[in-house]
Order: sequence, then structure tokens, then C-alpha cells
Amino acid sequence: MKTKILSIVTILFLSFTVSAQIDRTKQPKPGPAPKINLGTPEKFTLKNGLQVLVVENHKLPRVTATLSIDNPPMSFGNKKGVENLLSGMLGTGSKNTPKAKFDQEVDFLGANISFWNEGARTSSLSKYFPKVLGLMADAAFNPVFEQGEFDKQMKQSLDGIKSNAKNVKAIARRVENALTYGKNHPYGEFTSEETLKNVTLQDVKDLYNKTYKPNNAYLVIIGDVNFKEVKTQVESLFGNWAKGNLVTQTLPKVENPTTTEIDFINMPNAVQSELAIINAVDLKMGDKDYYAALLANQILGGGGTGRLYKNLREDKGYTYGAYSGIGADRYASRFKTSASVRNMVTDSAMVEAMKEINKLRYKKATQEELDVAKAKYIGSFVRNVEKPRTVANYALNILTNKLSKDYYKNYLKNINAVTLEDVQNAALKYFRGDKSRIIITGKGIDVLKNLEKTADYKINYFDANGNPTTKPEMSLPIPDGTTASTVVDSYFKAIGGKDKVTAVKSVMISSDAKVQGMQLNLVQKNAAPNKSLVLVSMAGNVMQKMVFDGTKGYQEARGQKKEVTGKELEEAKKQAAPFTDLAYKEGKLERIEPVDGKNAYVIKHGKSEIFYDLTSGLKIKEVKTVKGPQGEMKVPTLYSDYKEVNGIKFPHKMSQKMGPMNLEFIVKEIKVNEGVSDADFQ
Amino acid sequence: MKKSVLSLASAMLFAFSANAQKVEFEEYDLSNGMHVILHQDNSAPVVTVGVMYHVGSKDEVEGKTGMAHFYEHLLFTGTKNIGRGEWSKIVAANGGAGNANTTWDRTYYYETFPSNNLELGLWMESERLLHPTIDQKAVDTQNEVVKEEKRQRMDNAPYGKIIYGDVYRHIFDKHNYKNSLIGSMKDLDGATLEEFKAFYDKWYMPNNAVLVIAGDFETKNTKKLIKNYFESIPARTLPKRETTVEPERTKEKRVKEYDSNIQLPAILLAHKTPAMKERDAKVLDVISTILSNGKSSRLYKKLVDDKKKALQVFSFARNLEDYSVYNIGAIPLGKTSLEDLIKEMDEEILKLQTELISDKDLQKVRNKFENNFVASNSNVQGIANSLARNYMLIGNTNNINKELEIVNSITKEEIRAVAKKYLAKDRRIVIEYLPESKKK
Repeated sequence: MKTKILSIVTILFLSFTVSAQIDRTKQPKPGPAPKINLGTPEKFTLKNGLQVLVVENHKLPRVTATLSIDNPPMSFGNKKGVENLLSGMLGTGSKNTPKAKFDQEVDFLGANISFWNEGARTSSLSKYFPKVLGLMADAAFNPVFEQGEFDKQMKQSLDGIKSNAKNVKAIARRVENALTYGKNHPYGEFTSEETLKNVTLQDVKDLYNKTYKPNNAYLVIIGDVNFKEVKTQVESLFGNWAKGNLVTQTLPKVENPTTTEIDFINMPNAVQSELAIINAVDLKMGDKDYYAALLANQILGGGGTGRLYKNLREDKGYTYGAYSGIGADRYASRFKTSASVRNMVTDSAMVEAMKEINKLRYKKATQEELDVAKAKYIGSFVRNVEKPRTVANYALNILTNKLSKDYYKNYLKNINAVTLEDVQNAALKYFRGDKSRIIITGKGIDVLKNLEKTADYKINYFDANGNPTTKPEMSLPIPDGTTASTVVDSYFKAIGGKDKVTAVKSVMISSDAKVQGMQLNLVQKNAAPNKSLVLVSMAGNVMQKMVFDGTKGYQEARGQKKEVTGKELEEAKKQAAPFTDLAYKEGKLERIEPVDGKNAYVIKHGKSEIFYDLTSGLKIKEVKTVKGPQGEMKVPTLYSDYKEVNGIKFPHKMSQKMGPMNLEFIVKEIKVNEGVSDADFQ
Repeated sequence: MKKSVLSLASAMLFAFSANAQKVEFEEYDLSNGMHVILHQDNSAPVVTVGVMYHVGSKDEVEGKTGMAHFYEHLLFTGTKNIGRGEWSKIVAANGGAGNANTTWDRTYYYETFPSNNLELGLWMESERLLHPTIDQKAVDTQNEVVKEEKRQRMDNAPYGKIIYGDVYRHIFDKHNYKNSLIGSMKDLDGATLEEFKAFYDKWYMPNNAVLVIAGDFETKNTKKLIKNYFESIPARTLPKRETTVEPERTKEKRVKEYDSNIQLPAILLAHKTPAMKERDAKVLDVISTILSNGKSSRLYKKLVDDKKKALQVFSFARNLEDYSVYNIGAIPLGKTSLEDLIKEMDEEILKLQTELISDKDLQKVRNKFENNFVASNSNVQGIANSLARNYMLIGNTNNINKELEIVNSITKEEIRAVAKKYLAKDRRIVIEYLPESKKK
């Protein structure tokens, strides 16, 4: 290996010898710290400014070459998308080789060559590398910008935009950027149908002629090459690449809100909310507190050991993953906490994530957390040494970020020097719990009600393009002529028809549920006009009984008996049996609301809300407001698995949620017009 | 114990020699039936410890789907000697990184550490196998997490059902490949702790697992450590694997699938094809390369470049242990109809079935496979997984070194014959993958 050895970094692990006998109860101690040989690339610069870095590594017979033109960021305004079209047009053949032949040659060599507006990359077997690098240079410096190809790519790009119109994640990312950096900032602007349509072939050519220049360019070659040979080839292929005259744009200032706010983007098809808590930061790799910021972020949201993951995933089960990240870009960066969470817990997930951010700001982390975070950086540093591109990346970072020459030599030392106090200071400075944008992209109708209740923050609304808008409709309009009565009629029709329903004088339903491993049995008996019995038993013992004989009733639980009186008695009298729904005709059709992705009519009747599926007509949910120990609470019951008994459809699954308890009743027997007598209601 | 493949060669700095392009390894069985594969590469101070268990979603029983993948989550809870929630912390605190993944056929757990923590990796994996923590609390939390994973990967992701094989139920009527890899949420909700434990007892045992170590280690001492940590774990009786024979389809079937996250439809031609260990499966991989790998590939050139009818074309095999699934598909550009795309794809399939490919195309395929092969062996973590897979699902670890040989021996006539046999119209399912708004 020709690579020079820059430094030998030894990691500070305790060293122990391996014992012959193992003791399972004790975690094995690490062996002696491995030595890392951090190589450095060979470098040369061409007259036109192109800087070339070569990492020779002969382990595998392959080579990659990456040309990156490190121009300052540019915004493209109403022609945004021109840069992507340039990316697409590059590599569509060259002045010397038509596209079809060019594609054929690249494929024949088994190689990959890709181009973008600020660079190009190849990977291939080393035996074909000289040829592949030649193809890349030819296409990069002798491009053909053909109208036919342009038209095709324009069509593809427009369809590509269309294909993402309902992609919740894609829209979330683009609005997050637009809001964080501003729509005029290169990092905040995005391509739309409109901006794309403004782009002409001439714009693409102009951009190429202006920006595809060697002034700020780096060519990095890694792998099974011979330095001398590759140098000669690079000089001949890249030596004539002419310098340009670049004008740097002034970037708009990036600002955080004065106080934390919620920015909501409504996506009616979302089954998860994209939750992001973002603030812009001014952080550079060369900053003194850069390492502290990295470690603070690691403690908060770095992978499976981060607080966010432990809280939101491992403790609460809100999400598949919750993480945070902080950038240290030369031009603009942000700190971002993110998770995809199910609609119903969006508000709770937001509260917990904010809690974690603020906790790290106002309370010192533990020494153990800091140690783990440091070990993660050290470990990944060691693991990355395996990759030849690491050597190149480090060298490139030093050049582009203008870092000290021994930046990576001191990297681990600097990580190890960070204290708990440094971490807290970094959290205070960079994790702006007080000046954040909480950007939520999700289904408003499912999410907003709770968000309004939970949050102390102002909610702003934005459309999918990041433009301010109004709060989305929380329900759908009720069609003319539809009333509570017609909804109940179509329900009766759906379960078997009014004739069959009126012929039913009594119903007995017996169902089972499991509570903490114990079998629970529920017997419900109903008879016309309003008699009812509910019996709950466990292992044959009656736990609870509720009876109403039409005029009076009582509740009995654990030997205690209580007469039904007052308002409850009035409610009971109003109930209809065996089909309570008959009474709901008198209720009020309030709205149409989605329930688990289906739209439902909602009838309000007394203290209940009843939900009927818009398409099937079936009853899918009932929500009763009852008095609980902590005041009023809503008890939802869900009905599903409708099956016919005596020609009438009955739900065979009923689930009820009471606080943290989730009861699921599976019907085992239904009897119509039998098994019920007046004695049952005594 | 098999004779060591690796002798003096292991002293070489680079176990992967550039010319031979061979992955050197050594393999043997412990007395409890656990298979061990060692691949030494001392060029960087990094080591991967992985254990692959021969259990995947195809081993689940009706009404209890999702268990295999659920275990991938559960087995990070802790063990008798590793406290709840400590697993990831121990890995991280020792400079490691790990994860696990599940397929229809197997479940794989792995960590990559700086090489001075090899023993830690062995301890952790042996703990996971010997006495993991499986309790109601872990089941309840992971049940929610798995549901979120499904939402994130499938329900909220464009074309998620294609990517995660949720369309396989149309292809398989009998074989368990019909079941969703992540399982039915209803089944998972209904599963009791006892049932979870029973699943573990049934499948997780040393004689149903392969331990693979790849990277920087010293062989003699490593073997001793392996023996110490793993050999005392008792073997159990391995359940008999029932192989379900999926009947051959004799008539083309057409189905529709809907996705609320897409605006542009896709067309998918799906075929049941031979198991991954069969030579024909490799031939089909070659066919994929001809059809859609690279800009000069047939479908790409015709549909994307020349006729401008498709935004994207793809063809790929998902190679599985009992059967494989071979997909050819496209996303239309502009107003192109799905029928039109089918017609165009059929033309190309017919060409493969009736004409021999050129010498140049054959050489192109070989070059592409060689390039991919070299690239796929660029890190020890990847090599570890590949060795274990070849042993477990193909039945021959050394297949890792045979793949190129096989590809280079495939003839033009064979390609034509395989295309004819497996891509016949009456054997396929045509899936119209449509935006939810098209649902009537």
C-alpha cells in the first residue's frame, strides 16, 4: 500500500486479557485498543485549479472517481429545476459519441457513470478504469444539449412532480425546507410544475457554461490504481478544462421564529404524521463547540440509544423511530428532530419530543450518557477506517471547510475532551426549544383537535407548497336531503331490511373478552319496547348487572345494588329495544367525519354520538359521554365483523376503550326472538 | 469439523485477493449443531459478529402471522444478564453498531465492532440465543412499534406494497410466501405471550442457526471463545419443515391493487420462479440485467429513451428459498395506458423467448456481474451476511465464490429456454397498481 501513514491513533479503551473460563453474568471487557492507520491521499493541482486526490488501495480490483464542483449555493428562482435538467442532460452522449453508443459502452464495461449539475462519478473494475474515466471526461466536457432529449426529460420531470403530489414524506421535506430557510434561499426553494415550465434548453446550456468549471473542483480517485499512471491520464483528460468566471450570490438571512410555533400542512391521505421540530443554527465544523453540539445531538436523538428513540419508540410505541440531527454546513444549517407517528398520537409525540429537547437544555445529561455518545463517535471513526473513501472524505473536508491539517488527527481527542457542561451549553445554544418551528404534515381531521387542546403554541397553516393558508375543514358537508332519519333507515336496510328488523321482538347476545389474561363474559338481552339486561361475569361469577324493565331499573356490582334514578332513568326510558338505533332517528345529524379512513355520518343523540359508515350504511362506532372519577370522559365502542343471524346482520366484534383499557368482545352466540323472557328484566 | 480452508493464507494481510476474487473462509460445526463460519480480514481493525436463524415469515402458521419479524424486535429487549433497554447502549458504548432484519426465509442479527470487542459481540449473541427476555411488557411496546413500522414502510409510502411484497398473495395460493412479511396486525394483536414463547422455543436453537464472524481477529483464540460462549447452549429438536408445493398456474390472472400515496399507476407482471439455489434463478437474474439494468438495457432504452412511454421500468427477482418471485414492471409517462405498456413489455419478453441474445450482450452481462460481485464484497459486514445466506439458504457456503462462475457458464440458449419456460403469459399475474382515487 502506497498510502503514507499520517498518524497512528490509539483509542483509549481499557485493556484486559481474555480469561479461559467465562462468566456469563459479566459483560466481557474490551481487548487492547486496536491501532488505526489513517492514510492520507496523494495530491496534485492542475493549472486550471482542479485539485486531484488519489487514494491507492489495492484490496479490491475496483476504482471510483468522483468529480465535485464545490460552487457556493445558488438559487434559481422562477427557473428552479434548471439544475436538475442539467444533471439529466449531462451524460446523454457527447459530441464524439451519440447517446445510444455511449450508454452501450458504459454498460458493456459493467461500469456505472453518473452526472449531475456540479459533478460526475464513476465506479468500475480497475481493468476498465482508464476507459471509463475517458468516457466520463468526454461526456462532461463535450456535452450535447439536444432539444429532443430535453423535451423528454421535461416530460419525465413534470410527471415526477405529479407522482409525488400525494407523497406525505416528500411534501413534508419540501415545506420543512421552505419554512426553515425561506423560499428564496437555495436550501429552501423547490421545483414546481410552474418553475419547471419556465426552463428552456438555452437555460440549461447557460447554466452549464457558467458553472461547470474547474475553479472550485475536486477530483477524488480511490482504489486499485497506480498514482503515476492515473496522474498522467488526469492531466491529459482534465488539463484543457477551461476556467470560468463565477459570481457568488448573496444568500438571504435565515431566521428562526421569535417564539416556538406549530406549522401545519394538511394531507388528507396521511396515515402517519411527519413530525419535525426545526431551528436554524450557525454551526461550522471548525467551531470550538462543534464536538459538544455533536455529542448533545447524539444524546438527544442519535440512533437507538438517543433519548427520543427510547422515549417515543421503546417506552411509548408512538413510532418506528425518532431521531435528531444537526448540520454544520458552510452556508446554512439546521437542527432537526423528527419522527413519523400515527395520527392519533401526534400531539403526545410532539409534547414528548419538546420535553426531551428542553430537558437537555435545562438539565445536565448523565456521565454515562456522555460516555456512550463519545464511544459511538469513536466506534464509528474506527469502523469507517475500513472504507478507503473515508481517507478521501477527510482530506476533502479539510480542504473545503478550510480546517487545520491535523483536524482528524485530533478528532478523537477533541471528542473525548467534551464535558457535561459543554453539552448543556451546546444544547442551549443550538437546540432552540424556545424558537422552533414544529412542522407537522398530517391528516388535519384526525390530528388537529388534539393538537389544539394539547399545545401552548400558535398553529399556522400552510399548503403543500409552503404558502400560508387557512385551517382545513374538520368535517365534510352533509348532502341535501340527508337527515338522522334517512341515515338510520339506510342502516336498517343495510342490516337486512325494515321488515325483518320490526319482526324482531327480542335479542340475546353473548360475547367473550379477555382482560389481563382472564376470560370475561358479557350477556346482553333486549326486548321491545325498551327492556334491557346487561350481565358481566368472570369464571361463572356475576361481576356486574344492569337491568331496566321499561319503567324502573337498577345496577348491581360486588353485592352493592343501586336504583336507577333521575336523569339516568330518563335516558333509559328513551332507549329503544331491541334496536336502540330506532331512537336515534330523533337525534341530530351533525357532520361527516372520517373514522379509520372511512367516512361516517355522525348522529348526536343525548349523551351519545353514533357513527354510520357512509358507504356500507352499517353502524361502526358509538361514543358515550359518561361521568368518571376524573370528570366526564368519552367511551368509544367500535362495531365490526358484521355477520347474519336470522337474516339480520349483527356485529360480531365490539371493542371498547376505557382509559388505558382496551376491551375486545367477540360474539359467540346471538339468539333472535328466543332465550329472553320478562323474568330476565326483574 | 471440516478441514480448514484457510491455512497459511490467513497470515496474509488481505484475505480477499485481487486476482482470484475469492472470499476465503473456514467453517465447522459445534457439538450442539451450531454452524460456524469464519472469514478473516485483518486489513482494518473491525469485526462483524452475526447470527442467522433459519426462520422467516414462511414458517408462520395461519392466523399467527408476523411472529418471525416480531422476534426481530423482541430480541433487542434484553437477556438474563443484559438488562431491559441496555442492549443498544452496550453496543454503542463499545463503539459498535448493529441491527437485524427478517425475510420470508430467515432472521439475521449482527453487530460490527472495533476488533478489540469481538468477545463482547460473542457474549451478546450467545445471551440472545440462550436466555432472552420475552415478557408481556416487551410484547406490548413492540406491538405498537411494529404497527408504526408497517404504516411508515407500507401504508404511507408510495408503491410500498410492491416494494415490501404485499402483492405476493396474488402469486401464491398455498405457499406461505403469500403472507405479508410483517404479518397481519390482527394476528399480532391476538397473539398471547405463551404463543410468542412457543414460537421462540420452536425455532431459536443453536442447531437452527449459523454464527458468522468476519474481519480482524485471531483464529485460535476466537475459536476458543466461540466454544466457550456457544457450545454449552443445548440443542433441541428441530421441527420438521413442511414444504408446500405451489401448483403451477395455467391461466393468466389479473388483479388490481390500490395505493393512496400515488398519483401515477404502475403495471407489474409477476411470476413464480425457481428457488434461489436453482441455476435457473441465476439465469433469471441475467435476464433482469438484459431487460432493465443500465441505459442500454432493452426495456429502458425502448420505453424510457426511444418511445418515451415510461417514466420508469424495472425487472427484478426476489430470490427466496422455496420459490422466487420475478417482477417486470413500469410506470407510464404521460397518457400512456397500462395496456400499451403490457404490449411493449410482452414484445421484449417474446424476443427473449424466441431469439438468442448477441455475443456482445452476453459479455456485457458478465462484466456487469463481475463489477457487482466485487462491489458487494467491499466490507466485512456485507461479506458476513452473504456467507451466512449462502450456507443457510443455498446449502453451500462456497457458493459465494461460485456465482461468477455460474453466470459465466450461462449460455444464450439457456437464457432463451428459461425466458420461455418461466415468463410464459399463462403463468403470470398482471397487477394493475392504481391510485386510490381510481377505486370504484
